[in-house]
Amino acid sequence: MTRLAGPLRYGGLSALIVVCLGLLVVAAANIVRIERQMQISATENMTWTFGQTQIEALNLAVALSNDADPAEVQLRVDLLVSRLNLLRDGPQWRFLQQAGLAEGLTGWRERLLALDPAEDGDRAVLAEHVAALSTVLRGKASRVMTREWQLQSERLDRLGQLHLLALAAIVGALIAGAALAALLIDRERRLTRARVDLLRADRLQRDLNRERTASEGYRRLTDLIAHQVRTPLAVIDSAMHRLTRPGNPPTPEVIRTKAEVSREAVARLVRLTDTALLMARVDRGAVAPKLGCHDLDRIATAAIEEMQSAGKEQRTGRVTLRPGNSRVTAICDPVLTGEILANLLGNALLYSPPESEIDVRPMHSGDLAICDVCDQGPGMTDEELASAFDNFARGARHRDLPGSGLGLPLARHLARLQGGDLTLKPREGGGLVARLTLPGKVAA
Amino acid sequence: MRVMERLLRLVLAATLVLGASRAMADEVLLTLTGAVRDGQVMITRADLDAMDWHEISTSTTVTDGQPRFRGVLMRDILARAEASGDTVTAQALNDYIIDIPIDDFRNFDVLAALYMDGAALTPRDKGPVWIVYPRDDHGVLADIRYDMRWVWQLTALHVQ
Repeated sequence: MTRLAGPLRYGGLSALIVVCLGLLVVAAANIVRIERQMQISATENMTWTFGQTQIEALNLAVALSNDADPAEVQLRVDLLVSRLNLLRDGPQWRFLQQAGLAEGLTGWRERLLALDPAEDGDRAVLAEHVAALSTVLRGKASRVMTREWQLQSERLDRLGQLHLLALAAIVGALIAGAALAALLIDRERRLTRARVDLLRADRLQRDLNRERTASEGYRRLTDLIAHQVRTPLAVIDSAMHRLTRPGNPPTPEVIRTKAEVSREAVARLVRLTDTALLMARVDRGAVAPKLGCHDLDRIATAAIEEMQSAGKEQRTGRVTLRPGNSRVTAICDPVLTGEILANLLGNALLYSPPESEIDVRPMHSGDLAICDVCDQGPGMTDEELASAFDNFARGARHRDLPGSGLGLPLARHLARLQGGDLTLKPREGGGLVARLTLPGKVAA
Repeated sequence: MRVMERLLRLVLAATLVLGASRAMADEVLLTLTGAVRDGQVMITRADLDAMDWHEISTSTTVTDGQPRFRGVLMRDILARAEASGDTVTAQALNDYIIDIPIDDFRNFDVLAALYMDGAALTPRDKGPVWIVYPRDDHGVLADIRYDMRWVWQLTALHVQ
């Protein structure tokens, strides 16, 4: 049934359109026919023509009875002959024949010409002839008029019929057009409703996805707290326990060591909190990058130095900046870019063997400014690469190493905020290359 | 003296003969009055013969087919009479009278026809002059308002 509904509906629409147009064509054709028939032709002036003949016959009769001069009589004869000639001309004669009035009108002209006074015709016979002609004409004049009005009325009837037909066609077209309009409006309304439904469904789908992501995030957060918050807390607890153990009081050396261990644990917790807060701000869209032209080499150097000043000389000694031939200028926010590089350096230091080299390579590639951070650590499996940028994702092998699982997603967010990107790929010869791409500009 | 007398007689005779042969040609066909040269202009057959003749074939409302008409243009006649005005009142032998706008003669090649299908028009038909519009060349002319202006047996034109 539903499969047939579509073609049926279109068929109905097409039929309506055809009906509408067809009726309009009929109406137009009728109007054209009416226009063509509306002309008055002089042939329809037979009453006048016939009357003129009658008048000329009377005029001649008057001239003859008044004994007028020959020139006047001649003129009257000429005019009467011309009128009789006119009656014998095509259209007029056909009218008379169709009206059944032609009979009795033949022969008069020939007789008149035979009695032509110019050729010494007898005036008395001529007068008799003209009087007889007048009588015949008088007898037919009213019937000519009746016939003429009859024809006119019939013509008006025909025009009226055509007119009615055109009117009916137009009304029909109007009805078909109204039906068409109603159908189209209904269809449009349904289409709009469907579009709104679609938008709503789309929004619902998006809401659902966000909810899913959020709930996945909570699950991972729980996971994170279990591993990453619990560990430093356990370290602090163990230190406090050692310092407050009854018996031998701790030596100043032990106190210092335990305090250092505790502080480092606290620092890890603070870093974790900072990252989470920044991520929350980025998620909210509360971070607006202040873009400008900056020297990527200098930002990288600053990031390395900051790491050293944080008291990890022994670990940062293996980080080397390897600048290219020319200085690399990027269009970026230096603070956010520094944050990204610090994050990448932190990862490299954390996951690669203590004595291995870590290279930082700023460079150009076309219009892009690039900064690669290359380590010689264990690298990542394809699976890990695929989910590296998901919130709270931690490599299965590093669950016990400190880290929030927010660092890389945050870094990528920050890169994209500046119109750039962050990608990971395996390093040739083992290890990982983290590549920060930013909109760049070749320094003059 | 005899020679002079003979010469005089010859001239007289020649004048008479020429005059007789010109009787037809000198017959006045049209009389123009009103705003024309000197208030009245007579147009004779000879005058018409001296003008440019034209030919049109057209259907008419009172005949079948498309007769071939020959004659002079109405505007040429009016120009010859130095007519100036907007309207011509045409009058026929039977006192048929109608006003015709002079623009008709400017806009269309309206003919004062003297021949139809090669035969001279006479007062016993629609002659000697029949105003003929080129009805088939202009759609607008196929209308009763123009058909009424086809004056036959035309004798006089009054310009105003």
